[in-house]
Amino acid sequence: MTNNKVKIKTEKLDVFYGQKQALKNVNLEIFNREVTALIGPSGCGKSTYIRCINRMNDVIETCKISGSIKIDGQEINNKQIDVVRLRERIGMVFQKPNPFPKSIYDNVAYGPQIHGLADHKDKLDQIVQTSLKKSALWEEVKDRLDEPGTSLSGGQQQRLCIARAISVNPEVILMDEPCSALDPIATAKIEELMEELKKTFTIVIVTHSMAQAVRVSQRTGFFHLGNLIEVDTTDKMFKNPNNKMTQDYITGRFG
Amino acid sequence: MSEEKRIVKSYEEEMQSLNDDLVKMGSLTESQLSDTIQAIVKIDKEAAENIIKNDVQINELRAKIDDQISTVLVKRAPMAIDLRTTISSLKISHDLERIGDLAKSVAKKIEPLPIDLPQELTGSLKRLGELVQKQLNNVLDAYISKSKDKAIEVWRNDEQVDDLTHIAMNEVANFLGKNKKNLELATHLLFVTKNIERAGDHVTNIAESLYYLIEGEYLEGARPKGKEFVKDK
Ligand SMILES: Nc1ncnc2c1ncn2[C@@H]1O[C@H](COP(=O)(O)OP(=O)(O)OP(=O)(O)O)[C@@H](O)[C@H]1O
Ligand SMILES: [Mg+2]
Repeated sequence: MTNNKVKIKTEKLDVFYGQKQALKNVNLEIFNREVTALIGPSGCGKSTYIRCINRMNDVIETCKISGSIKIDGQEINNKQIDVVRLRERIGMVFQKPNPFPKSIYDNVAYGPQIHGLADHKDKLDQIVQTSLKKSALWEEVKDRLDEPGTSLSGGQQQRLCIARAISVNPEVILMDEPCSALDPIATAKIEELMEELKKTFTIVIVTHSMAQAVRVSQRTGFFHLGNLIEVDTTDKMFKNPNNKMTQDYITGRFG
Repeated sequence: MSEEKRIVKSYEEEMQSLNDDLVKMGSLTESQLSDTIQAIVKIDKEAAENIIKNDVQINELRAKIDDQISTVLVKRAPMAIDLRTTISSLKISHDLERIGDLAKSVAKKIEPLPIDLPQELTGSLKRLGELVQKQLNNVLDAYISKSKDKAIEVWRNDEQVDDLTHIAMNEVANFLGKNKKNLELATHLLFVTKNIERAGDHVTNIAESLYYLIEGEYLEGARPKGKEFVKDK
């Protein structure tokens, strides 16, 4: 691994939805400028975990979270933290592309505007352009920035959402099955993009595709029934995992 | 090893069939090698011809296994134990094929040999041949039972193969030293000895592949080395 600094350190994380425990004593380190893949059967808690990192679970009333999540050593799982500022640092891309019902331009410009990152139009134009370039969408949309985001294809919409996420210059990008609605070409573009993005950002991706986890990530964590069963380098996890449950899952013996 | 079966039945069947063919190829190679050892000791020219003819069966199985492995790789993108099984099978089948080829080359040398090979020359050769044959048998057993310990044992015993090769070669060298007219026969026998030793090396490779399959790690340390052959003055 090139950069072994821990970016996100999770300790003794328990998450409940009402009576139901969705995460059980999760301890996980996510390294700076790496792609970490989270895998595991449906309902094992992958989305729950990444939603804890940007405090998306706050909006769910029944959700109770205890334990510690530190980003660069700073605890984010407490009441003092400014959640708006936190979400500026931690972008998120969802399974289903969800552009705002606005123009392509405004989709990307919205974040920098509300976070006050651009004080004049030129600056904003520049942010929009670089974000779209970084998300490998610029060439395809530069002549139609005024058209609605929803007029793009699914794969383009997903790259628009990535542009939107990176426009505020986050430190971490969380991706929850970002390619599950995309064809192989669009998927390849996003994967290629991740390769580029990880030079600047720390990426956590939830995926149901083992092959994708192998292709894009340097580290992989396997969840099962709310437990983090094993985490190791992706190479080790897919060639020779330590845990039999991991092996059975990735070789298609249960799921 | 995982005892659970895969959810996808056809994947399970593909891996099973790959395993069955590899075992079949192993036993075919084993009998080719043991026939060759018998034939050389007895100078059985008829048996030698059969060995030469039968080699094609091993090659065909190799081709079939190659094809199955390609299919599994593209279709299943095997992971973990399945990945290791697939790539180890590819290597093992390659080594088996080479052992088959070596048996065939040895068999080809039987034809020009005189019927009455001096007893002093066949003793060590026979012992060497039987040892390599036993090694092959053991490594195939280890494969079937997925026994790491048996794989290590085979790997270690290659040292004995090297030692016996050394002894057999010295005997041939002494025989040549007695009378330069023995040159042609000695050359044949050196070739045969060397080929049997090389078959032994492929057995060791199989033990290494098997160890990797089971453990996901490579056998550590250099392969055991016997004494180098030094021609007696
Ligand atoms: N808002 C919620 N209210 C109640 N229970 C929830 C809620 N969200 C998730 N859960 C439960 O928590 C557990 C973990 O869900 P989560 O969405 O984290 O799983 P996942 O690993 O992301 O699954 P998938 O692969 O299907 O997306 C599940 O049992 C789920 O039913
Ligand atoms: Mg999910």
